Amino acid sequence: MRGPRLLLVLLVLAALALTAVDARSGAFAPFDAVRRGADTVLGPVQRAVGGAAGSVWDVFDGDPAEQQRLREQNARLRAELAASEELQRRVAELDRLLGLAERGTAPTVPARVVAIGSAFGFGSTVTIDAGSRDGLQPGQTVLSGAGLVGRTLRVGPFTATVLLLTDPGFTVGARLTREGTIGLATGVGSALTYELVEGGRVAVGDALLTTGSETFLPGVPVGRVTAVDASAGDLVTTAEVEPFVDVSALDLVGVVTGPPRDVPRSPLPPPPPPPPP
Amino acid sequence: MTPRRFLFGAVTVVAAVLLQSAVLTRLPLPGGAPDLLLVLVVAFALAEGPLSGTVTGFVTGLLADLGTDHELGRSALVYTLVGYAAGLVHDAPALGGGVSGGRARSPLQPLVVVAVAAAAGVTVYAAVGFLLGDDRITLDAYTQSLVATVAYCVLLTPFVVPVIGILVRRLDFDPLRR
Repeated sequence: MRGPRLLLVLLVLAALALTAVDARSGAFAPFDAVRRGADTVLGPVQRAVGGAAGSVWDVFDGDPAEQQRLREQNARLRAELAASEELQRRVAELDRLLGLAERGTAPTVPARVVAIGSAFGFGSTVTIDAGSRDGLQPGQTVLSGAGLVGRTLRVGPFTATVLLLTDPGFTVGARLTREGTIGLATGVGSALTYELVEGGRVAVGDALLTTGSETFLPGVPVGRVTAVDASAGDLVTTAEVEPFVDVSALDLVGVVTGPPRDVPRSPLPPPPPPPPP
Repeated sequence: MTPRRFLFGAVTVVAAVLLQSAVLTRLPLPGGAPDLLLVLVVAFALAEGPLSGTVTGFVTGLLADLGTDHELGRSALVYTLVGYAAGLVHDAPALGGGVSGGRARSPLQPLVVVAVAAAAGVTVYAAVGFLLGDDRITLDAYTQSLVATVAYCVLLTPFVVPVIGILVRRLDFDPLRR
C-alpha cells in the first residue's frame, strides 16, 4: 500500500513542477524544444492518422436522403459516389479559399486539419498538415473559405499548431466594413469581443475585416457583430462578434506565407488620367 | 509485470493518445469529446490497482500534454490522480472490487467509477487552469465540459474497460512466476 502512495506523491509533485515551470516560461521556454521534438516525431504519424480518419468520414459524409437512395445501389458505387461528392465539396472550398487569398494575391499554402489540441473541450488550437518544409513560420495568417481562422503558433517540419481566433490569447486589428472605424478583436472562448479604439458607432449585423499589419493579411473577414454593450460612461464601446468560420468544423485551411504581392485594395485616389498627347 | 504486459501498455497508450487527438476530439459532438485517455487510465487502474493506475495516468497525461495547448504536466496531474483513485476501488472489496478471487464485480461499477473520475478530472483540470490564469476556464465552459465529458466517457466505458481487463489478465500470466 505504501508503494503506490509514495509514487503518487512523487508523480503529482513532478506534474505540478512541470506545470508551474511551463506556465512561468515567457521569454525563456525550456519545454519549447521538447514540444518541437514531439512535433517532429509525432507530426508524420498524426498526419497519417488524421488523413485516414478524414477519408473515413469522407465516405460517411453526405446528405441523409441521398444516402437513403444510394443504399439501394451496390456498395462499391455507393462508396465511390460519396467519395466523389466529398471531393467536389473540397474543390469548391478550395476555390473559395483561393478566391479569398486572391484578393491580395498573397502566397497561400493549403492544409488540412489533422488534430485538435483540446483537453476536456477547453481547447482552442488545431494541428494542420503543413509545416516549415512548406514555408510556414510562426505568426502567419490562417484563413478558410469563410474567413479568418487564426494564426500559426508553433511550426514543426511537417505540422503546425494554429491558434484559433476564439482563443483569449488571440487579438487582431479589425475594421468595421460599414463605418470604417478601427478597433481590436479578441477571442473569448467561443466568440470574440470587439473594442473600438477611438469611439464610433457599432451596430448589430456589422461585419469586421482585419486591418492587417506587417505579418497579418489585411481584408480578411473576421465575423459579424451580434450584440453591442453600450453602457453609458464606458470609455470604450465593446461588441460581441461571432466568427464567420465555424471553428468546431474546420477541415481545409490556407496559411498565408508571405506579404501580398499587390496592394490588396484599390488605391484611394483614382489612377491619374493618361497624359494628353 | 511481464514484458508482454509492458509492451501492451506502451502500445495502447501511444495509440490512444493519437486516436484521441486525431479522431475523437474532431467528432462533431456538442459540448466536448469522449476522453478515451481517461477511460483507459481507469480501465488499467480497475484491472490492476493503484500502482498501475498511477503510472499509466502519468505517462498518458504527459504524452497527451505534448500535443495539446496547455502547460506540460496539467493532464499528467489529472490522470495520475484519477489512476490512483480508481486503483483504490480495485483494492477495496467493500466497493465491489477485491484482488482476484474476490466476489464478482458489478457490471455497473466501471460506469460509476468512470463517471466520478471524469467529473473529478474535469474539475481538477479546470481548477489548475483557473489558478494559472487560463482565460478559457469560465463557469459556462466548465459546466458544459463537465456534463459532456461525463456523458461521453460513460458511453465509451463498455467498449474499453472490459476489453482492457481481459487483455491485461491474459498478458500478465507469467508461467515462471506463478
